[in-house]
Amino acid sequence: MSQIRRLVPVVAVVAGLTALFLFGLLRGSPDRNIPSNLLNRPVPDFDLPLFERYMSDFGPRLSLAEARGRPLVINFWASWCGPCYEEAPHLQRAWLDHGEEVFFVGIQTQDRDARAAGRAFIERFDLGFPNVIDDDSRVSIAYGLFGVPETFFVRADGTLQHKFVGPVTESVMREQIGALLR
Amino acid sequence: MTGLRLAPARRARLPALLPALLVAALLATAAAQDRPLDPRVFDIGRELRCPTCVAESVGESNAAIAREMRALIQEQLDAGADRREVLGFFQERYGDWILLNPPMRGMNLLVWLLPVAGAVVGLLVLARLLQRWRRAAEIPVDVDSAELDRVRTEMQDQLGDGAVR
Repeated sequence: MSQIRRLVPVVAVVAGLTALFLFGLLRGSPDRNIPSNLLNRPVPDFDLPLFERYMSDFGPRLSLAEARGRPLVINFWASWCGPCYEEAPHLQRAWLDHGEEVFFVGIQTQDRDARAAGRAFIERFDLGFPNVIDDDSRVSIAYGLFGVPETFFVRADGTLQHKFVGPVTESVMREQIGALLR
Repeated sequence: MTGLRLAPARRARLPALLPALLVAALLATAAAQDRPLDPRVFDIGRELRCPTCVAESVGESNAAIAREMRALIQEQLDAGADRREVLGFFQERYGDWILLNPPMRGMNLLVWLLPVAGAVVGLLVLARLLQRWRRAAEIPVDVDSAELDRVRTEMQDQLGDGAVR
């Protein structure tokens, strides 16, 4: 009996270390879904150059200040980012459905000197909402971006309702835009 | 989308300004990239987590975002900001996550206190074990005399008469 009692702490330590090892093994890549520090706070303004196809409507640059007073969907993407290709059709669909009430803007970021690749990305999905170029990633830093894609849902008063990390889906767009318009 | 259209007068001036703007932007970018960075940039960068990397700091990473962050740190130092202000700038945007030395408050306290608590508990357990072993060594072992005789006989058989007293 005393032998068994003596073994209990050893078994406990081994079991604890095994559990820790398995946790490390199974948890996968680090979780990027960290709540934004901007949550419920006003999102930063930006003034960035537009891709050519939007210049006839907006001029050479787009300033977020001009879109204030409307709910916003701000999507950060890069031409090298696989999941960005996955989500682009959902963004275009949501813009076609809600573009009158919600202002959509795409930001090519963390993708320096890749304007041609950015243009090809936009053409591929025929993105109708304006897309701008954050060549030096300063806006991505101002928004506390961890990677791409990330999508910010901003209320009409300019405060952040939700930041979605990863490729958006139809249901995410429906849920978040529904909350923006309520 | 119509609410964001530019006034016609502003739009008319834009084609003339575009080449000048382009040249200015290229020159500014080239100047920023060519200039060697202050060593303080790397010191501060080593206190910041690279947002797109795994286990790398802004000071060490060669990721595009880390390079931009280093350029931004340089700009802030040039503008007269000190280390604390630069770290605060990034903390405000990314939260405590960006700091490789998390501030000692809230849940972060655990990161600082748990290793100390672990070391203290470990030392206490070790002290207790040593005490128990010492006490066990001091207690005379009560051995049955018949058993003692048996062991003595066996040892004499194996080692010879002079070996065991």
